[in-house]
Amino acid sequence: MTIENFVEKFAFAIEVETVSLTADTEFKALPNWDSLNALSVIAMADADYGVALSGEDVHSSTTINDVWKIVSARKQ
Amino acid sequence: MSAIAGIAVRGIAAAVPTKVALTQDYEFLKPEERARLQKATGIGAHRISPTEQCTSDLCAAAAERVISHLGWQPDSIGALILITQTPDQPIPATAITLQNKLGLPQACAAFDVNLGCSAYPYGLAIISSLMKSLNISRALLLMGDLSRVCALTDKSAWPLFGDAGTATALELDNDAPPIFLDLMSDGSGKDAIIIPGGGLASRRPPGDGPITEEIGSDGIARRPDNLLLRGADIFSFAISKVPPSIHRVLEMGGHSADQVDFLVLHQANKMINDTITKKAGFTPEKAISTLAQYGNTSSASIPLTLCAHADRFSDDRLVTVCGFGVGLSWGSATLKIPANAVLPVIESDAVY
Repeated sequence: MTIENFVEKFAFAIEVETVSLTADTEFKALPNWDSLNALSVIAMADADYGVALSGEDVHSSTTINDVWKIVSARKQ
Repeated sequence: MSAIAGIAVRGIAAAVPTKVALTQDYEFLKPEERARLQKATGIGAHRISPTEQCTSDLCAAAAERVISHLGWQPDSIGALILITQTPDQPIPATAITLQNKLGLPQACAAFDVNLGCSAYPYGLAIISSLMKSLNISRALLLMGDLSRVCALTDKSAWPLFGDAGTATALELDNDAPPIFLDLMSDGSGKDAIIIPGGGLASRRPPGDGPITEEIGSDGIARRPDNLLLRGADIFSFAISKVPPSIHRVLEMGGHSADQVDFLVLHQANKMINDTITKKAGFTPEKAISTLAQYGNTSSASIPLTLCAHADRFSDDRLVTVCGFGVGLSWGSATLKIPANAVLPVIESDAVY
Protein backbone atom coordinates (compact mmCIF):
# COMPACT_ATOMS: atom_id res chain seq x y z
CA MET A 1 0.00 0.00 0.00
CA THR A 2 2.15 2.83 -1.29
CA ILE A 3 1.40 6.03 -3.14
CA GLU A 4 3.51 4.75 -6.08
CA ASN A 5 1.29 1.72 -6.27
CA PHE A 6 -1.82 3.90 -6.11
CA VAL A 7 -0.59 6.15 -8.93
CA GLU A 8 -0.07 3.03 -11.03
CA LYS A 9 -3.61 1.80 -10.37
CA PHE A 10 -4.97 5.30 -10.97
CA ALA A 11 -3.26 5.41 -14.37
CA PHE A 12 -4.60 1.97 -15.27
CA ALA A 13 -8.13 3.00 -14.21
CA ILE A 14 -8.22 6.08 -16.41
CA GLU A 15 -6.33 4.35 -19.24
CA VAL A 16 -3.20 6.52 -19.44
CA GLU A 17 0.50 5.56 -19.27
CA THR A 18 1.76 5.26 -15.68
CA VAL A 19 4.85 7.33 -16.51
CA SER A 20 2.64 10.28 -17.39
CA LEU A 21 1.35 10.58 -13.81
CA THR A 22 2.84 11.42 -10.41
CA ALA A 23 1.34 11.89 -6.96
CA ASP A 24 1.18 15.61 -7.67
CA THR A 25 -0.63 15.34 -10.98
CA GLU A 26 -3.73 17.52 -11.04
CA PHE A 27 -5.83 14.79 -12.59
CA LYS A 28 -8.91 16.82 -13.48
CA ALA A 29 -6.69 19.02 -15.68
CA LEU A 30 -5.59 16.03 -17.77
CA PRO A 31 -6.70 16.39 -21.38
CA ASN A 32 -8.61 13.11 -21.38
CA TRP A 33 -10.26 13.56 -17.96
CA ASP A 34 -14.06 13.36 -17.98
CA SER A 35 -16.87 12.34 -15.66
CA LEU A 36 -16.59 8.68 -16.71
CA ASN A 37 -13.01 8.67 -15.35
CA ALA A 38 -14.43 9.55 -11.94
CA LEU A 39 -16.45 6.32 -12.08
CA SER A 40 -13.32 4.37 -13.01
CA VAL A 41 -11.41 5.79 -10.05
CA ILE A 42 -14.29 4.96 -7.67
CA ALA A 43 -14.39 1.43 -9.10
CA MET A 44 -10.63 1.04 -8.62
CA ALA A 45 -10.78 2.19 -4.97
CA ASP A 46 -13.56 -0.32 -4.36
CA ALA A 47 -11.95 -3.26 -6.15
CA ASP A 48 -8.31 -2.77 -5.12
CA TYR A 49 -8.65 -1.18 -1.67
CA GLY A 50 -12.17 -2.04 -0.52
CA VAL A 51 -12.80 1.66 0.03
CA ALA A 52 -16.01 3.50 -0.92
CA LEU A 53 -15.16 6.86 -2.49
CA SER A 54 -18.00 9.30 -3.11
CA GLY A 55 -18.38 11.55 -6.12
CA GLU A 56 -17.66 14.47 -3.77
CA ASP A 57 -14.37 12.85 -2.67
CA VAL A 58 -13.16 12.85 -6.27
CA HIS A 59 -14.68 16.26 -6.98
CA SER A 60 -13.00 17.90 -3.97
CA SER A 61 -9.56 16.38 -4.67
CA THR A 62 -7.03 18.20 -6.83
CA THR A 63 -4.03 15.88 -7.02
CA ILE A 64 -3.80 12.10 -7.10
CA ASN A 65 -2.20 12.34 -3.66
CA ASP A 66 -5.37 14.04 -2.37
CA VAL A 67 -7.37 10.99 -3.42
CA TRP A 68 -4.73 8.68 -1.97
CA LYS A 69 -4.99 10.44 1.41
CA ILE A 70 -8.73 9.67 1.51
CA VAL A 71 -8.26 6.07 0.38
CA SER A 72 -5.41 5.31 2.76
CA ALA A 73 -7.24 6.92 5.72
CA ARG A 74 -10.38 4.84 5.07
CA LYS A 75 -8.39 1.70 4.45
CA GLN A 76 -7.17 1.75 8.06
CA MET B 1 -37.91 -8.18 5.96
CA SER B 2 -39.03 -11.56 4.88
CA ALA B 3 -41.27 -13.19 2.33
CA ILE B 4 -44.81 -13.15 0.94
CA ALA B 5 -46.25 -16.51 -0.08
CA GLY B 6 -49.32 -17.33 -2.13
CA ILE B 7 -48.86 -14.84 -4.98
CA ALA B 8 -48.03 -16.17 -8.45
CA VAL B 9 -46.62 -14.23 -11.38
CA ARG B 10 -48.79 -15.20 -14.38
CA GLY B 11 -47.45 -12.97 -17.14
CA ILE B 12 -44.94 -10.20 -17.85
CA ALA B 13 -45.11 -7.96 -20.94
CA ALA B 14 -43.16 -4.92 -22.09
CA ALA B 15 -43.69 -2.29 -24.79
CA VAL B 16 -41.22 0.14 -26.34
CA PRO B 17 -41.71 2.85 -28.96
CA THR B 18 -40.37 2.19 -32.47
CA LYS B 19 -37.96 5.12 -32.77
CA VAL B 20 -34.35 4.13 -32.05
CA ALA B 21 -31.72 6.70 -30.98
CA LEU B 22 -28.11 5.54 -31.30
CA THR B 23 -25.34 6.65 -28.95
CA GLN B 24 -23.02 6.91 -31.97
CA ASP B 25 -25.33 9.55 -33.51
CA TYR B 26 -25.63 11.75 -30.39
CA GLU B 27 -24.66 15.16 -31.72
CA PHE B 28 -23.80 16.78 -28.38
CA LEU B 29 -20.73 14.55 -27.96
CA LYS B 30 -17.60 14.42 -30.09
CA PRO B 31 -17.23 11.14 -32.04
CA GLU B 32 -14.50 9.83 -29.70
CA GLU B 33 -16.65 10.72 -26.68
CA ARG B 34 -19.56 8.76 -28.17
CA ALA B 35 -17.38 5.65 -28.49
CA ARG B 36 -16.08 6.09 -24.96
CA LEU B 37 -19.56 6.58 -23.51
CA GLN B 38 -20.81 3.48 -25.30
CA LYS B 39 -17.90 1.38 -24.04
CA ALA B 40 -18.19 2.49 -20.41
CA THR B 41 -21.99 2.42 -20.10
CA GLY B 42 -22.68 -0.44 -22.50
CA ILE B 43 -25.50 1.68 -23.95
CA GLY B 44 -25.57 1.61 -27.75
CA ALA B 45 -29.18 2.54 -28.38
CA HIS B 46 -32.37 3.56 -26.66
CA ARG B 47 -36.01 3.99 -27.66
CA ILE B 48 -37.70 7.37 -27.81
CA SER B 49 -41.44 7.93 -27.68
CA PRO B 50 -43.24 10.25 -30.08
CA THR B 51 -44.07 13.51 -28.29
CA GLU B 52 -47.77 12.71 -27.99
CA GLN B 53 -47.11 9.30 -26.35
CA CYS B 54 -47.13 9.14 -22.53
CA THR B 55 -46.16 6.63 -19.86
CA SER B 56 -49.77 5.46 -19.69
CA ASP B 57 -49.75 4.59 -23.41
CA LEU B 58 -46.74 2.29 -23.23
CA CYS B 59 -48.03 0.69 -20.03
CA ALA B 60 -51.49 0.22 -21.56
CA ALA B 61 -49.97 -1.52 -24.59
CA ALA B 62 -48.07 -3.90 -22.31
CA ALA B 63 -51.14 -4.44 -20.10
CA GLU B 64 -53.37 -5.29 -23.08
CA ARG B 65 -50.75 -7.74 -24.29
CA VAL B 66 -50.59 -9.61 -21.00
CA ILE B 67 -54.37 -9.55 -20.42
CA SER B 68 -55.05 -10.99 -23.87
CA HIS B 69 -52.30 -13.59 -23.50
CA LEU B 70 -53.84 -14.80 -20.24
CA GLY B 71 -57.40 -14.54 -21.52
CA TRP B 72 -58.38 -12.63 -18.39
CA GLN B 73 -61.74 -10.86 -18.33
CA PRO B 74 -61.07 -7.18 -17.47
CA ASP B 75 -63.67 -7.29 -14.70
CA SER B 76 -61.66 -9.99 -12.91
CA ILE B 77 -58.84 -7.51 -12.17
CA GLY B 78 -59.18 -5.98 -8.73
CA ALA B 79 -56.08 -3.78 -8.46
CA LEU B 80 -53.84 -1.75 -10.75
CA ILE B 81 -50.68 -0.12 -9.44
CA LEU B 82 -48.50 2.08 -11.65
CA ILE B 83 -44.95 2.82 -10.55
CA THR B 84 -43.52 5.78 -12.43
CA GLN B 85 -41.59 9.01 -12.00
CA THR B 86 -43.03 10.43 -15.19
CA PRO B 87 -46.82 10.35 -14.79
CA ASP B 88 -49.02 11.78 -17.55
CA GLN B 89 -49.90 14.75 -15.33
CA PRO B 90 -49.21 15.76 -11.69
CA ILE B 91 -52.86 15.17 -10.72
CA PRO B 92 -54.73 12.81 -10.92
CA ALA B 93 -52.72 9.62 -10.57
CA THR B 94 -52.10 8.03 -13.97
CA ALA B 95 -53.11 4.57 -12.69
CA ILE B 96 -56.68 5.80 -12.34
CA THR B 97 -56.79 6.97 -15.95
CA LEU B 98 -55.42 3.55 -16.93
CA GLN B 99 -58.30 1.83 -15.11
CA ASN B 100 -60.59 3.60 -17.58
CA LYS B 101 -58.38 3.17 -20.67
CA LEU B 102 -58.06 -0.56 -20.05
CA GLY B 103 -61.77 -1.01 -19.38
CA LEU B 104 -61.21 -2.31 -15.86
CA PRO B 105 -64.14 -2.34 -13.45
CA GLN B 106 -64.78 0.43 -10.93
CA ALA B 107 -64.26 -2.22 -8.25
CA CYS B 108 -60.54 -1.90 -8.90
CA ALA B 109 -58.07 -0.23 -6.53
CA ALA B 110 -55.81 2.02 -8.65
CA PHE B 111 -53.00 4.33 -7.57
CA ASP B 112 -49.50 5.51 -8.49
CA VAL B 113 -46.28 4.95 -6.60
CA ASN B 114 -43.38 7.38 -7.04
CA LEU B 115 -40.30 5.19 -7.42
CA GLY B 116 -37.85 4.72 -10.27
CA CYS B 117 -34.96 2.32 -10.51
CA SER B 118 -36.04 0.33 -7.43
CA ALA B 119 -39.60 -0.14 -8.72
CA TYR B 120 -39.72 -3.88 -9.31
CA PRO B 121 -38.93 -5.31 -5.86
CA TYR B 122 -41.00 -2.55 -4.24
CA GLY B 123 -43.88 -3.14 -6.64
CA LEU B 124 -43.90 -6.87 -5.95
CA ALA B 125 -44.01 -6.15 -2.21
CA ILE B 126 -46.81 -3.58 -2.46
CA ILE B 127 -49.11 -5.44 -4.81
CA SER B 128 -48.60 -8.82 -3.13
CA SER B 129 -49.38 -7.32 0.27
CA LEU B 130 -52.50 -5.64 -1.06
CA MET B 131 -53.74 -8.79 -2.79
CA LYS B 132 -53.16 -10.96 0.25
CA SER B 133 -54.63 -8.61 2.82
CA LEU B 134 -57.70 -7.60 0.79
CA ASN B 135 -58.16 -10.95 -0.92
CA ILE B 136 -57.81 -9.50 -4.43
CA SER B 137 -57.50 -12.48 -6.74
CA ARG B 138 -56.00 -10.77 -9.81
CA ALA B 139 -53.96 -7.60 -10.17
CA LEU B 140 -51.73 -5.68 -12.58
CA LEU B 141 -48.42 -4.11 -11.66
CA LEU B 142 -47.45 -1.53 -14.30
CA MET B 143 -44.13 0.26 -14.55
CA GLY B 144 -42.87 2.71 -17.09
CA ASP B 145 -40.99 5.94 -17.59
CA LEU B 146 -40.20 8.40 -20.35
CA SER B 147 -36.83 10.08 -20.88
CA ARG B 148 -38.27 13.42 -21.99
CA VAL B 149 -37.49 14.87 -18.54
CA CYS B 150 -33.81 14.97 -19.55
CA ALA B 151 -32.45 17.99 -21.43
CA LEU B 152 -31.52 16.94 -24.97
CA THR B 153 -28.19 18.72 -24.56
CA ASP B 154 -27.40 16.91 -21.28
CA LYS B 155 -24.65 14.47 -22.19
CA SER B 156 -24.61 13.18 -18.59
CA ALA B 157 -28.22 11.97 -18.84
CA TRP B 158 -29.94 12.09 -22.24
CA PRO B 159 -27.93 9.34 -23.99
CA LEU B 160 -28.46 6.98 -21.05
CA PHE B 161 -32.24 6.86 -20.71
CA GLY B 162 -34.80 5.09 -22.88
CA ASP B 163 -38.59 4.83 -22.87
CA ALA B 164 -40.60 1.71 -22.01
CA GLY B 165 -43.78 0.51 -20.34
CA THR B 166 -44.35 -2.87 -18.71
CA ALA B 167 -47.10 -4.96 -17.13
CA THR B 168 -46.82 -7.84 -14.67
CA ALA B 169 -49.98 -9.86 -14.02
CA LEU B 170 -50.27 -11.55 -10.62
CA GLU B 171 -52.81 -13.91 -9.11
CA LEU B 172 -53.58 -15.30 -5.66
CA ASP B 173 -52.45 -18.93 -5.62
CA ASN B 174 -52.06 -20.92 -2.42
CA ASP B 175 -49.46 -23.12 -4.08
CA ALA B 176 -47.21 -20.23 -5.19
CA PRO B 177 -43.78 -20.22 -3.53
CA PRO B 178 -42.71 -17.24 -1.40
CA ILE B 179 -41.34 -14.03 -2.89
CA PHE B 180 -38.35 -13.03 -0.76
CA LEU B 181 -37.87 -9.29 -0.30
CA ASP B 182 -35.25 -6.83 0.92
CA LEU B 183 -36.27 -3.14 0.69
CA MET B 184 -34.03 -0.18 1.61
CA SER B 185 -34.02 3.66 1.57
CA ASP B 186 -31.54 6.47 2.19
CA GLY B 187 -33.02 9.93 1.73
CA SER B 188 -29.69 11.60 2.51
CA GLY B 189 -28.84 10.85 -1.12
CA LYS B 190 -31.86 12.64 -2.57
CA ASP B 191 -29.76 14.98 -4.70
CA ALA B 192 -28.02 12.18 -6.61
CA ILE B 193 -30.89 11.96 -9.11
CA ILE B 194 -33.39 14.78 -8.89
CA ILE B 195 -35.78 16.98 -10.84
CA PRO B 196 -35.33 20.02 -8.61
CA GLY B 197 -38.06 22.27 -10.08
CA GLY B 198 -41.80 21.98 -10.40
CA GLY B 199 -42.56 20.84 -6.86
CA LEU B 200 -43.63 23.15 -4.06
CA ALA B 201 -40.30 22.83 -2.20
CA SER B 202 -38.56 24.43 -5.17
CA ARG B 203 -40.54 27.64 -4.55
CA ARG B 204 -40.79 27.99 -8.30
CA PRO B 205 -43.72 25.88 -9.41
CA PRO B 206 -44.55 25.85 -13.10
CA GLY B 207 -46.44 28.96 -14.10
CA ASP B 208 -44.50 31.16 -11.69
CA GLY B 209 -42.68 33.03 -14.44
CA PRO B 210 -41.00 31.62 -17.53
CA ILE B 211 -38.90 28.46 -17.19
CA THR B 212 -35.35 29.18 -18.36
CA GLU B 213 -32.20 27.14 -18.71
CA GLU B 214 -29.41 27.53 -16.18
CA ILE B 215 -25.81 26.34 -16.46
CA GLY B 216 -24.94 23.87 -13.68
CA SER B 217 -21.58 23.43 -11.93
CA ASP B 218 -20.87 20.70 -14.49
CA GLY B 219 -21.23 23.22 -17.33
CA ILE B 220 -24.43 21.65 -18.64
CA ALA B 221 -27.52 23.75 -19.36
CA ARG B 222 -30.76 22.42 -17.87
CA ARG B 223 -34.19 23.76 -17.03
CA PRO B 224 -35.26 23.39 -13.39
CA ASP B 225 -37.77 20.75 -14.49
CA ASN B 226 -35.07 18.65 -16.19
CA LEU B 227 -33.59 15.61 -14.53
CA LEU B 228 -30.17 16.03 -12.95
CA LEU B 229 -28.01 12.91 -12.55
CA ARG B 230 -24.84 12.84 -10.45
CA GLY B 231 -23.31 9.70 -11.90
CA ALA B 232 -20.32 9.36 -9.59
CA ASP B 233 -22.52 9.51 -6.48
CA ILE B 234 -24.89 6.88 -7.89
CA PHE B 235 -21.97 4.69 -8.85
CA SER B 236 -20.43 4.89 -5.38
CA PHE B 237 -23.78 4.13 -3.72
CA ALA B 238 -24.63 1.27 -6.05
CA ILE B 239 -21.41 -0.71 -5.78
CA SER B 240 -21.28 -0.40 -1.98
CA LYS B 241 -24.95 -0.79 -0.93
CA VAL B 242 -26.47 -3.05 -3.56
CA PRO B 243 -24.40 -6.27 -3.28
CA PRO B 244 -25.25 -6.64 0.45
CA SER B 245 -28.98 -6.38 -0.41
CA ILE B 246 -28.59 -9.23 -2.90
CA HIS B 247 -26.71 -11.25 -0.29
CA ARG B 248 -29.49 -10.65 2.25
CA VAL B 249 -32.28 -11.72 -0.09
CA LEU B 250 -30.39 -14.86 -1.09
CA GLU B 251 -29.75 -15.73 2.53
CA MET B 252 -33.40 -15.12 3.39
CA GLY B 253 -34.52 -17.67 0.83
CA GLY B 254 -31.73 -20.09 1.65
CA HIS B 255 -30.46 -19.77 -1.92
CA SER B 256 -26.93 -19.65 -3.24
CA ALA B 257 -26.05 -17.67 -6.37
CA ASP B 258 -25.58 -21.01 -8.14
CA GLN B 259 -29.19 -22.03 -7.47
CA VAL B 260 -30.61 -18.86 -9.03
CA ASP B 261 -31.11 -19.07 -12.79
CA PHE B 262 -30.80 -15.35 -13.56
CA LEU B 263 -29.77 -12.16 -11.79
CA VAL B 264 -31.79 -9.28 -13.24
CA LEU B 265 -30.35 -5.93 -12.19
CA HIS B 266 -31.80 -2.52 -12.86
CA GLN B 267 -30.07 -1.54 -16.07
CA ALA B 268 -27.98 1.41 -14.88
CA ASN B 269 -24.74 1.13 -16.79
CA LYS B 270 -22.25 -1.59 -17.62
CA MET B 271 -19.57 -0.54 -15.12
CA ILE B 272 -22.07 -0.51 -12.25
CA ASN B 273 -23.80 -3.72 -13.24
CA ASP B 274 -20.60 -5.69 -13.87
CA THR B 275 -19.25 -4.62 -10.48
CA ILE B 276 -22.45 -5.55 -8.63
CA THR B 277 -22.69 -8.90 -10.42
CA LYS B 278 -19.16 -9.80 -9.41
CA LYS B 279 -19.51 -8.65 -5.81
CA ALA B 280 -22.83 -10.49 -5.46
CA GLY B 281 -21.11 -13.72 -6.49
CA PHE B 282 -22.88 -14.27 -9.82
CA THR B 283 -21.23 -15.27 -13.08
CA PRO B 284 -21.59 -12.71 -15.90
CA GLU B 285 -23.68 -15.19 -17.95
CA LYS B 286 -26.44 -15.15 -15.32
CA ALA B 287 -26.74 -11.37 -15.32
CA ILE B 288 -29.02 -10.80 -18.31
CA SER B 289 -28.94 -7.28 -19.75
CA THR B 290 -30.65 -4.92 -22.17
CA LEU B 291 -28.31 -1.94 -21.81
CA ALA B 292 -27.04 -2.32 -25.37
CA GLN B 293 -30.42 -2.02 -27.06
CA TYR B 294 -32.67 -0.14 -24.60
CA GLY B 295 -30.35 1.79 -22.24
CA ASN B 296 -31.56 2.71 -18.76
CA THR B 297 -35.36 2.50 -18.75
CA SER B 298 -35.82 3.51 -15.10
CA SER B 299 -38.76 1.71 -13.46
CA ALA B 300 -39.30 -0.51 -16.52
CA SER B 301 -35.78 -1.89 -16.72
CA ILE B 302 -36.18 -5.21 -14.87
CA PRO B 303 -39.42 -6.45 -16.50
CA LEU B 304 -38.20 -5.14 -19.89
CA THR B 305 -34.97 -7.11 -19.49
CA LEU B 306 -36.95 -10.25 -18.63
CA CYS B 307 -39.11 -9.79 -21.73
CA ALA B 308 -36.11 -9.14 -23.99
CA HIS B 309 -34.87 -12.60 -22.96
CA ALA B 310 -38.29 -14.28 -23.17
CA ASP B 311 -36.78 -17.23 -25.07
CA ARG B 312 -34.87 -18.19 -21.93
CA PHE B 313 -38.06 -18.50 -19.86
CA SER B 314 -39.66 -21.54 -21.52
CA ASP B 315 -39.07 -23.42 -18.24
CA ASP B 316 -39.77 -22.43 -14.64
CA ARG B 317 -37.02 -20.04 -13.51
CA LEU B 318 -35.84 -18.82 -10.14
CA VAL B 319 -34.67 -15.22 -10.50
CA THR B 320 -33.20 -12.63 -8.21
CA VAL B 321 -34.11 -9.09 -9.24
CA CYS B 322 -32.48 -5.97 -7.83
CA GLY B 323 -33.40 -2.33 -8.38
CA PHE B 324 -31.35 0.62 -7.15
CA GLY B 325 -31.11 4.35 -7.73
CA VAL B 326 -33.22 7.48 -7.39
CA GLY B 327 -34.22 8.18 -3.79
CA LEU B 328 -31.87 6.73 -2.86
CA SER B 329 -33.98 3.60 -2.89
CA TRP B 330 -32.94 0.02 -3.46
CA GLY B 331 -34.25 -3.47 -3.00
CA SER B 332 -34.00 -7.09 -4.06
CA ALA B 333 -36.44 -9.93 -4.55
CA THR B 334 -36.11 -13.62 -5.30
CA LEU B 335 -39.12 -15.16 -7.03
CA LYS B 336 -40.16 -18.01 -9.23
CA ILE B 337 -41.28 -17.15 -12.76
CA PRO B 338 -43.35 -19.99 -14.23
CA ALA B 339 -42.66 -21.38 -17.71
CA ASN B 340 -43.83 -19.23 -20.63
CA ALA B 341 -44.99 -16.35 -18.40
CA VAL B 342 -42.48 -13.92 -19.91
CA LEU B 343 -43.69 -12.48 -23.23
CA PRO B 344 -41.40 -11.01 -25.91
CA VAL B 345 -41.08 -7.20 -26.09
CA ILE B 346 -43.63 -5.51 -28.35
CA GLU B 347 -43.31 -2.19 -30.18
CA SER B 348 -46.03 0.42 -29.86
CA ASP B 349 -46.40 4.07 -30.79
CA ALA B 350 -50.08 3.95 -29.89
CA VAL B 351 -51.70 6.81 -28.03
CA TYR B 352 -54.77 5.74 -26.07
